[in-house]
Amino acid sequence: MIDDWIIFLLLFLAPVVSSIPIALAYKSKGWTEKLPYLSVFGIFVSVLMSLYIFFVFPENQQYAYDWIPDLGINIVLITDYLSRYMGVITAVIAFFIAIYGLDYMRGDYRPSWYWFFFNLFTASMLLVVYSDNLFLLFVGWEGLGAASWGLIGHWFRDDDEIAYVGVPKRKVGPLELSWPPSFGGWRAISTIRFGDVPMFFAIAAIWVFTGNLNISEINWESLFLNIGAAGTVILLTLFLMGLLTKSAQVPFSEWLMTAMTGPTTVSALLHSATMVAAGAFVFIKISWYIKPWELHHVPGLNYVYLFALFIGLISGLYGALAASGMLERKVLLAASTMSSLGLMFGAAAASYWIHEEVMPGINLALLVAFWYMAVHAFAKASLFLVSGHLIHATHTRFSVGALEFGKRMKPAFITTIIATTFLIGMPPLTAYWVKSGMDEVMEHLIHPIGFLPLILLILTSLVYAAILAKFLSLNFIKGEKPHHEHLEGGGLMKLGYGLMVSMLFVLIYLIFTRTETAGFVHAGFMPTSFAVGMSILVAYLIAIYKPRMTSFAKLGTFFNDRMYLPFVNDYIFPKTGFFVSHLVQDYGNRGIDGFFNTKVMPGLFERISKGIRTIQTGYLKTYVQIVLGLVMIFLIIAAIGGMRI
Amino acid sequence: MELAMAMMLLALAILTLGSVGSFKYRQLGFYAAIVALIIGLTACRSFYYGAFIFAIGIINLVSLIGIKSEIEGVDYGLVGLMALATMYIANTSDFALVLAALVLVSVPTYILVMIREGGANVEVGIKYITFMVFATVLFLIGAIILAYTKNSFDGVLYILGYVMLILGLSLEVGVAPLHEWVPDVFTSADPIPVSIIASLAKIVPFIAALWILIYTANSITASITIFTAVLAAISMFTGNIGALTSKEHARVLAYSTVANMGYVLACVVVVPVVVVIEHGLTIIKPEFIYLALAGGLLMLFANAAGKIGFFNAIKGEGAYSPLMYILAFSFIGVPPLMGFWGKLFILLSLVEVGYIWLVALVVINSAISIPYYVRLASELSIDWKANLTNFIAVAVVLITLVTVAFLPVNWFLEGMEVLAHTMGIAI
Repeated sequence: MIDDWIIFLLLFLAPVVSSIPIALAYKSKGWTEKLPYLSVFGIFVSVLMSLYIFFVFPENQQYAYDWIPDLGINIVLITDYLSRYMGVITAVIAFFIAIYGLDYMRGDYRPSWYWFFFNLFTASMLLVVYSDNLFLLFVGWEGLGAASWGLIGHWFRDDDEIAYVGVPKRKVGPLELSWPPSFGGWRAISTIRFGDVPMFFAIAAIWVFTGNLNISEINWESLFLNIGAAGTVILLTLFLMGLLTKSAQVPFSEWLMTAMTGPTTVSALLHSATMVAAGAFVFIKISWYIKPWELHHVPGLNYVYLFALFIGLISGLYGALAASGMLERKVLLAASTMSSLGLMFGAAAASYWIHEEVMPGINLALLVAFWYMAVHAFAKASLFLVSGHLIHATHTRFSVGALEFGKRMKPAFITTIIATTFLIGMPPLTAYWVKSGMDEVMEHLIHPIGFLPLILLILTSLVYAAILAKFLSLNFIKGEKPHHEHLEGGGLMKLGYGLMVSMLFVLIYLIFTRTETAGFVHAGFMPTSFAVGMSILVAYLIAIYKPRMTSFAKLGTFFNDRMYLPFVNDYIFPKTGFFVSHLVQDYGNRGIDGFFNTKVMPGLFERISKGIRTIQTGYLKTYVQIVLGLVMIFLIIAAIGGMRI
Repeated sequence: MELAMAMMLLALAILTLGSVGSFKYRQLGFYAAIVALIIGLTACRSFYYGAFIFAIGIINLVSLIGIKSEIEGVDYGLVGLMALATMYIANTSDFALVLAALVLVSVPTYILVMIREGGANVEVGIKYITFMVFATVLFLIGAIILAYTKNSFDGVLYILGYVMLILGLSLEVGVAPLHEWVPDVFTSADPIPVSIIASLAKIVPFIAALWILIYTANSITASITIFTAVLAAISMFTGNIGALTSKEHARVLAYSTVANMGYVLACVVVVPVVVVIEHGLTIIKPEFIYLALAGGLLMLFANAAGKIGFFNAIKGEGAYSPLMYILAFSFIGVPPLMGFWGKLFILLSLVEVGYIWLVALVVINSAISIPYYVRLASELSIDWKANLTNFIAVAVVLITLVTVAFLPVNWFLEGMEVLAHTMGIAI
């Protein structure tokens, strides 16, 4: 058991410890140029440990160590199906991005800040992944939040337009639709905090009602039956608030778009294996243990899952549509990520209506959601890394690049082709099989819910294929000729995305060889799935051929403005907040502060202190009078009181 | 006669001989007092308690070196006598001897308070002695009435006795609203004797009061403790507000004493929970008495250490800055200094008895006290100099840091078991 703990400690602590030297050496230019290699090595240790856990540790084993047992807060880790896979995915992706980052962040103005938070980000996600205890998970969860704030706002000086999101000085109504990095960091942490607090209360409530915080041990059924329909809905909605804000689902998606103000490596990590994935991952994980498909007799649970299903599917379509109007490389990818996350939520939520277990304890819908997360992670990380390289090479964050440019950027070009085709779900590439599984899941919902989920999924998939094709086309084939080209170097960057995209081949191999994923392959050979896959291919090809449609320019601008959702974040919320704070200031505060704190308390204080001082006349006679008088009074009161008792 | 008693008598004899001899050789009184304290310590049944008293006694003795009084030599003997009586009260379970210890600690201060270089401070003496005599009389009468009601119960008499005892205690140690003598005496007497009155002399009255109240507790005790709680609250506020609005250092310390005595008095409300009367039998719940005793004593020790340090700094016109701040933080109750543990245990014992409002008031008062302690520390701070003042300051800071060196302070709580046992108030 001791050895097992050493593995876990290395897994979590190696990234953090290895980044402390660079954090401490922030003043020395010489050291901060060399120490990033140590930080990357720390993540490499995590990769080794996650692989060791994957191959050597027994499956579904719980590792528990008491921390604050009186409150159910313990260090409890679990090696279930989800954490074993997700741990490897997280560590490997972080490692490849870190290699890429060695090149990408060279010459940056604060490498210490970057590497410390980057590694903290990775370690926090690993903690989220392996935790069985909700509180421990929440520790990692908050670590993600803090690190994302640090990284998104990394270029806090706001001095380089290339790090902004939105077109500078573009105004819609009272709002300027352009966001600097410092604002992006703030927006991320404030949105996430908006969800974290309800989530924290939900965790507390789970402890109060069950006396247990270990996800795999909680008796969810009796918990829900105990608190009734309304209780179940409130509890799970509060919990979901944390997940939906973290995964940037509507209407909390804005922070993810402005998170693109961070370095591209951060965007890549943020969008693939950490942060946004954490929301979907935790949803899959708790559904895995809640087993909602067995709890149809629990009142209220169906509403929660129906809510999650439609939030997910609507976010999916919204993200894809918004991306269709975008030209900023990273923001387009960000919107597409939101769309993918929506599909993960939707598929996971569908588990309520899916009784099919591909293997004992593994629900088809959850498995589909999880595998889609895995495929998406590697593909999207590759695309982000490519776009980072493109931004370096062309010095603009907007999509530019013609075929000639594409030929000079061959590794990037090829990576983009592989990543997009493998991700959109065209036959017979990796995501096709997973998406086929997803089609099957949504087909199951026709009976209990109707056609809407399936229609939303297919629509999303088509638009999604088109936007990725557009990304490919506008950057390598049919885009404008770049004004500026800087093609030298970048060896480690190419290595980074090369390794990343190659993992998609590993995944397709796994899909065909693992027993639990045999269902995906089976679904892939169904005619309907094939038809959907072919339509996706057609959408993809059309979009490559015609990436921009000028006749729809107005609609595109509407989509690019994220259908004016920024107004909720930047206008309605702040205005409401200011209104409330003015109310508090003008009426509440002035009353309390003005009256109580500047009149009542000082007045009282002054009187008492004056009284205390005037007693001290210095004359013994006065003192004796006071003391004797008081003693007599007390004794008389005591005598009277004593007779009454 | 048991060994401990014999040792105590031996210590007393040495002390007396030393004092007599000091008329010829002044240093003799000092050394005799130290030897007597060492013997006293070996006779102490509760080692931790004894060790603290020993340390405080020795520091008081050393601080007297700095003052050339007319009775030099005898003054060491008086301090030695107080320290021995303070040690002894923890050894006895005899009612009469508890009262005797109180008198033995109280009377020497009548003389000490008048010590001044080149003469006697008669005016202060009169003021002080008037109230001390009154206090001792009230205390003794209260104690005797309480003892009487233990044998033949009378509710009215019990309450009168209780109130008299608490009033006597309040007057003796300076609990508001009977604190009038404190600011005057503290500011007009010499700082060194005041430091002894503010430190060593405060411990026995509390132990004696607690002892007598537990010994005589009955079913109506619970209904009268509110009186003590209210006095404690008044004392905290009077002391802290007074200190906050005073300028003179000695006066600030005087009011700080009033506030601190309020905190310690709060422990006394624990008594009725400690003693539960069931079917005519007295059942004692020791865990509460340990908390209350530990809280009260740590608070008294922290107060003693701080008062000695600050008064000596006043006498020596300042002391080394970090030392002054450590003492101030201990008074405020910053963990893990001794003052913190004192307050914590007092608060825990108050929670046990359900006096939550008093807990809140203690916390509020701790907050109120922050500015004046910090101000005091900053105004009395000077650079390092190797002199007697700083030597004493280092010694008292070491006492304050005992709780830091040996964390957590469970050992002190467990030590209370021994103390309570020898005092005959535990099972």
